[in-house]
Amino acid sequence: MSARGLLLSVCLTAGFLHQSPVHAELAELGDDAMARVSGQGGIYLSGDISINALGGPIENSYFGRCDDRQKTCGARVAYRLRENGGWMVLDEIQGNFAFEGLTLRVRSIDSGFGGDGEPFNGEVLELGLPDTIRFSDVRFRMAASSTARPTDPGFRQTDIFTVDMQGEVLMRGNLLIFPSGAP
Amino acid sequence: MRHGPWLFLVMVSGTTPVLADLQHLDDEALADVRGQGGFTLETELQLGLDRLSYLDDGQAIQLEGLHLGSSEQDDRGAYHQVRVNIDHGAALNLDYLVTDRRIEFGDVRLAGAPGVGMGGVFFDHSLQGSFRLRAGGVTGGAGYSFDSAYTMTGGRLGYRTNGNEVFLDDVWMDVEALGMTLDLVGTALRLEAPHVRGQWRVGAIRYSDNPLNHGRSRDLGSGDWLPSYGGLEGDYELSTITLIQAGGRRGEGVRLDHEARLNTAGFIYLDDGHPLAFKDISGDFRVNDLRLDVDVDGQGRPALALTATGVDGALSIGALALGDQGQSLGAVNFRFLFQDHIFAGRQYRNAVYLQGGGHPDAGPQGLRLATEWSLPSADLSYTDDGHRVVFSGLQSWGQGDITVNVTRSGERNGTRFYDGLRIGFEGVKAGYRINGLRVGDENAPLQGGTELLLALGVYPAYEFELDGQVTLGPGGASGEGIRLNSDLRVGNGRAALIVAPYDEGAGEVPQKGLWIADLEYEGHVREMTLDVTDEGLALVQGEAWSTLDVGNLRLGDKDSGASFGRFVLERYEQGSVMTVVPGGAGDVCIGGQGSSGASCETSGGRWEARGEQGITVRLKQLLVPAAADGRRNALTWEAHRARDSQGNAVNGSGMRLVLDDIHTSDGGDLDGAGAESNDYGIRTELGVDVYQTRVVKKQNGPDSLGVQGNRGDEKIMDPSAPQGYRYVSNPSVEQAANRPLGFAVQARTRFKELSVRSVDLIHPTGGRQTAVYGVRLQNVDLRANLTATPMP
Repeated sequence: MSARGLLLSVCLTAGFLHQSPVHAELAELGDDAMARVSGQGGIYLSGDISINALGGPIENSYFGRCDDRQKTCGARVAYRLRENGGWMVLDEIQGNFAFEGLTLRVRSIDSGFGGDGEPFNGEVLELGLPDTIRFSDVRFRMAASSTARPTDPGFRQTDIFTVDMQGEVLMRGNLLIFPSGAP
Repeated sequence: MRHGPWLFLVMVSGTTPVLADLQHLDDEALADVRGQGGFTLETELQLGLDRLSYLDDGQAIQLEGLHLGSSEQDDRGAYHQVRVNIDHGAALNLDYLVTDRRIEFGDVRLAGAPGVGMGGVFFDHSLQGSFRLRAGGVTGGAGYSFDSAYTMTGGRLGYRTNGNEVFLDDVWMDVEALGMTLDLVGTALRLEAPHVRGQWRVGAIRYSDNPLNHGRSRDLGSGDWLPSYGGLEGDYELSTITLIQAGGRRGEGVRLDHEARLNTAGFIYLDDGHPLAFKDISGDFRVNDLRLDVDVDGQGRPALALTATGVDGALSIGALALGDQGQSLGAVNFRFLFQDHIFAGRQYRNAVYLQGGGHPDAGPQGLRLATEWSLPSADLSYTDDGHRVVFSGLQSWGQGDITVNVTRSGERNGTRFYDGLRIGFEGVKAGYRINGLRVGDENAPLQGGTELLLALGVYPAYEFELDGQVTLGPGGASGEGIRLNSDLRVGNGRAALIVAPYDEGAGEVPQKGLWIADLEYEGHVREMTLDVTDEGLALVQGEAWSTLDVGNLRLGDKDSGASFGRFVLERYEQGSVMTVVPGGAGDVCIGGQGSSGASCETSGGRWEARGEQGITVRLKQLLVPAAADGRRNALTWEAHRARDSQGNAVNGSGMRLVLDDIHTSDGGDLDGAGAESNDYGIRTELGVDVYQTRVVKKQNGPDSLGVQGNRGDEKIMDPSAPQGYRYVSNPSVEQAANRPLGFAVQARTRFKELSVRSVDLIHPTGGRQTAVYGVRLQNVDLRANLTATPMP
């Protein structure tokens, strides 16, 4: 249950980024600007997340542990946009992300933003971006497949490209999310 | 001296059917007794009363079917032996032995509510003890002083409705109360017990649905032990002062004022021998102006009314231990004050109106508690390896009916009942909110961060209307334990996901936040078992399904804030398991890899030793494919809804995006059963600790509280600093030990396969269009180390 509440809020937030008709506006605010804001809750998150560092829970003819070079040890996502069509696949998903200082809170805005804040006069969901996100051995492969599962009969897969990421990404500022349009 | 014999005679004449030869002993006669061996009274008592009434302003409450006799043979009396002695200090000494006595009443009825009763109570026991009475109370003069010590064995204490009963079985108790005094102070009777200590044990808490088993530990037909919820044991040492006066809240009645100090206590729940222990308990407790009246409640229903002006106290649990190894989850403290208060423009008070009947379909016997409560101030704290977080400014209020019945499985008048103790909720309108967090102690600066409670499945603020039932049955997955069936409905709910304090010190303000508003929830659980095992607490769901319908996800004010639209989360699980074990994450390498501090630091990580205490939660969630009756796992987002004449959005009239039929699978028919195997599910392990976390300043200059620092500086707690903290560029080891506290979560989630059958777009007139014909995630093992602290 504990994870569910947290996961729900994270999923909803992530969902808005992709699905909601929101007007997100990036703006780097100094702490002095935040000092004018009172009555704010919110949390500060740091940590690291790894995907299939040693392999996943399936061990069969396709998936296995990462020290078995004959097998795929990453995660796999398949989806299709046509009924009875082929599957687009992200395969061999692996890697580690680390971040420090991702913040989440509700913030009132009634000034600033080049004069837009005063007429806005409302609340936004503020996602404070961490300064840096460190990627370690992050990789995945884009492919097209005849079946959703690599163990299904008639499985054939064509790899399109592979992505491998190392290093740090600098992310400063805030992502502001607020409702717009008819709910 | 002269009061002693009179009291003795009152005791005897009130309980015996006069098998004893009663004599009124005057002082002269007693004077002759002094120095002798006293006398012994042996009786076999059997008493029956059809009705015993208490009248309050003409309104009556009646104990019906009162009976005293043998607990082993219905037609026999209970054996009593009393040895009476007057010692050289002019004190009356009674040494007594009571064997297999049952005291019971069949029902409690209110004269104004014919046809329904509160149910019956029976109390079986054998007693051996002594009682010493002497003249002179704590104030001297006309009072009494007395000492009491007894051992009770073979006890049973049961509650019975409609032929079904739940009872404490095989109760043993050893009690010593020395130096008690009874005085008349003004118009009040003052009873003080300066030193009471005892130990007790309940062998089993049993349930029976067979009226013929009444007061028996074994089933009459099979001879088997009746099913058990588990056993209890504990000890205590306390002192109390109680004042009793005449006068109810209205007219006649009784007034009670009570003060208790719990010096030390322990409490253990045992399930097949596996303990859940509350250790090192202490606290204090006061009840101010509790009135007892036979009256009517706010709806004019006859009731036994208990109303209190105030109840306050504090409770400290030094260690909450689980499992055979006795490992501790940490310490918990709770401070509370119940008193009249205005919430949302309405005055709430603290009152319980006891009525007969319970749920109307369960039969004529049961309890109905028309309840109102007002908790304007409370603090709840949790301490993990010495790290203390206080959830400060907890408030709660509410009103509604709670029903209690002992029920048996079956459907009656269209209502489904289950074996066990049924707790029903009818029209309960309630709410709670938490002002903020304080770290270290109750006087530390208030800060945000109540959102961290979401990690424990608790909303920081919640208002709701509740109906439904929870039935607690006997028997776990095996042997003793608790079996739960529930049906709950929440309406008109407003719960916060992120929320600001309601009072930052300048008075109460409307809370701004992210709210799941206009919330309707319906949830059902079938045959969930709750057991204490050798390693922790295990909850195994038989079947569970629910719908969480969020009418509006609002930002800002919970009633008028702008809305992101409607969200509906449907869930359907079978055989899911949750296990709670003591101990958090232990030693953790954050941002790196390594099994030791050195190897972790070498890989660029940060080594954290999070101690022995904390909580680990293991979940196995089996999401079932959609059933023919519509139960499923799905997420719907709806926007652009039409408005009704009052301007409210009409659900189902807008554009909907549906992630439909989300379910888990093992990836094929692995067991040859002819269907997809679904035994692995989503497996999650969460290790939760309260621990210091690294919080870094993100901008140069002053922060929201005016504390100066540079980007990259660490926040270090410092009680000598004006705001309780400062920023440090390169903290030393000593400074790093004062990093801010927060919740540290080590999580691992694995699943073999998670599928979404389709992603559909539903137009109110155009119908359903499928956008994605299936999504399948396979072979996922996600590990995370997250720390969450209040905003710096």
